[in-house]
Amino acid sequence: MTKETNSTRSTRRSFLKRGALLAAPLAAAVPAAVIADDGLKARLARLEDEAAIRKVHHAWLRQVNSMQTSMKTVNAGTGDAATPLLADSQGAALDRTVRSITADHAGEPDAIEVAADGTRAIGQFQCAVEVENPIAQDCTLARMAHAQGGGFVRQTERRVLKVEYVKNGGSWAIAKAEFAPI
Amino acid sequence: MPGTPYPKEQMHRIVYTKLSEQQIADKLSAVSGPTSVSPLADVFAGKSIRIVTDKGPALAYTFKGTKRLSVAENGAGAVETGYGALTQGSLAFFTHMIPNTQRGYAVVVDQDTNLATVFELWFSGYEDKREVQREIYYGYVEQSGQEAPKNRHVVTNRVEGKGFYWKQDNGAETLEFYPSAAYSHFVELSRLGGELGFCGPSDYIKIDENRYIYTRTECEFSGTFTAYVMDLNRIEQVGMRLGFNADDALEYYVFRGKGEWLGQLAQFEKFGDESGNPVPAAAQGQTPAKGARRVYRPLKTMAKMTPAQVDAVCAKHTSAFQPRAIAPGPNAPAASMAGNLGPNTDWLAGKSFTLRYDHSPAMEYRFDDAEKLNWRKEGGSNWTKAPYRAYESSPGVILFGHLLEGEPNHDGHSIVADFDQGLVTCFDGFLNTPYFANEAGVKIHFGVIEMEGLIPPKYRRHVLTDEMVGRAVSQNYAPGLTSMHLYSTPHSLSWIIFTGTDAGGLEWSGPASYVKIRNGLYFMYWLEEACNGTLGTILVNLRTMRDVGIGYNCGENGLNMSAMGAHERLAGQFDVRRFYQVKSDGGVV
Repeated sequence: MTKETNSTRSTRRSFLKRGALLAAPLAAAVPAAVIADDGLKARLARLEDEAAIRKVHHAWLRQVNSMQTSMKTVNAGTGDAATPLLADSQGAALDRTVRSITADHAGEPDAIEVAADGTRAIGQFQCAVEVENPIAQDCTLARMAHAQGGGFVRQTERRVLKVEYVKNGGSWAIAKAEFAPI
Repeated sequence: MPGTPYPKEQMHRIVYTKLSEQQIADKLSAVSGPTSVSPLADVFAGKSIRIVTDKGPALAYTFKGTKRLSVAENGAGAVETGYGALTQGSLAFFTHMIPNTQRGYAVVVDQDTNLATVFELWFSGYEDKREVQREIYYGYVEQSGQEAPKNRHVVTNRVEGKGFYWKQDNGAETLEFYPSAAYSHFVELSRLGGELGFCGPSDYIKIDENRYIYTRTECEFSGTFTAYVMDLNRIEQVGMRLGFNADDALEYYVFRGKGEWLGQLAQFEKFGDESGNPVPAAAQGQTPAKGARRVYRPLKTMAKMTPAQVDAVCAKHTSAFQPRAIAPGPNAPAASMAGNLGPNTDWLAGKSFTLRYDHSPAMEYRFDDAEKLNWRKEGGSNWTKAPYRAYESSPGVILFGHLLEGEPNHDGHSIVADFDQGLVTCFDGFLNTPYFANEAGVKIHFGVIEMEGLIPPKYRRHVLTDEMVGRAVSQNYAPGLTSMHLYSTPHSLSWIIFTGTDAGGLEWSGPASYVKIRNGLYFMYWLEEACNGTLGTILVNLRTMRDVGIGYNCGENGLNMSAMGAHERLAGQFDVRRFYQVKSDGGVV
């Protein structure tokens, strides 16, 4: 639970940080008084999309980190149980060796790019991924390790989490999630 | 004819009767209460107490002397039964059964704090009905007009690493080691002659910094339950034993004992971690069933094969130093016990020599390269090619192993050859053993190396030693796979598996032997009898704190010889060698 909290806070900080970065050039380049209504609406829509995407993303991370359910059936945690987090269960399913994903505080800020038509988005998040691999049960010691609830090796690696989002029926969901080297 | 202290069968070889529920009930009905050699305590005589537990029963007791009590469970009607109590300072230990049931209780009360720990005990709760089950409840003795105490006795790892010699008032002598926070290891000196040590799942409960409660259930054996309170400073115990022995007779008694401190092994948990129960029965967030615990049941799960089946599987699949066929899953670490093996040596490549054993046929060798050798028994005409691996543990000391194709018992040799001394020791593993044909047996061959330019000694040999006895050495074979050996007797060792928090977890043991190669260099084997039949052999180098070894195993997947290697740490030593001296008047101690 601690990791969830940290992750959420971290990502929220990153979001604010990125929001500030995005907002700064706009504010500097164009006086507020002359921004057209259409521009304001588009920007507002984009910010709302980003916020909705982050909500989906955080809920998904909570599910991944709790590992209470299969990645394929995740649909809780958004406050709207009827809204699935995953648009494509196969594409968004993570390797079962993944035990947790936490924000990499030393990494680049999170990035979410919403497509111009507002139906798709891509997110990139530098993170620390904890993976767990079972030890082969090829000897007595390994079998005993499994028998006592262990028998695996955990290690943490820095990765970039690349996530594709899709908007269906007004709600964002995850279409694909994968890791790439930093 | 003088008797010996040794049993006809060791515990892991006894075929304990699968007692039926009715047989157990009949045997229990004949017993009124626990027996005791020591005078029973009258600490509760004439008193009534009510014990309240947090997630368990409320027990209202009225004690009518030192042998009879009435008990009411959870406000139900009281029943009268026999009991026995013993005290140790402020601690009172008593036990009783519930008439016409297979249940009973063992209770520890601290009269200073009024805290109580209650063990509910029962038979017929597992498929092997003679195995005593237990559930632990923490609570207190209700005091009129007083609030319930907030503290409780608590499971702990504070006993981990300790070891004691105990002598009970009935004469039973044991060495008891607690190298795990979930299991314990015990050597029955008086009952079984102290040849081998055995293991059982255990509970460790802290009363205060000086006094602890310990339990052990002899799962996979008789199923007998032992519990006692021990004072670590005074080295005194009071407790009980409940179960059916090898003759199916009920043993139900309380005992008082005194002991000797044998030493302390290192603990490997993080500093500050004093938590107990490192291998909980249920996953985090789940509630275990009543009495549930993690029990290692190797005999139940091992393949048990006939000689014909062994011959067939060996003919079908025999491999040496090949990757295992078991699929570990994607990205899984490689062969578990070879992670810290290191490279094999080509020191033997191109060499030829004869290993002349004192009481076994000499073996002639020609080594093609670092992985292929040719062997034949002296006098034979044909060479047999075999894969081998060799490891130079110490300069001039080579461990190598190979299978002996064509031998009727599918032998495999694990050999330490000391080319500086011209000495050799061979652990000759073989199959078709009496209990299960796929279970490895071993013969030890001592001898010399005959090789051009090397003059071996005439009389000197490597020797069996007890120098390792009492030591504990941890082995890290690979990430995530760390164990510890406890060399508890001259003829057996125990292995402990560490948990993710580096607490000692499951534990088991088997026959073993130790050969001294040089100072600080020991060649040893252990047999995983009634377990999975493996013969493990390792060459332990206490200077480099590394071991290299050869494993020999036959199961349903075939016959396999493999190499292993570990980084080691000394974990301490118990002062136990003196207990294994054979007395002139028979027995040990």
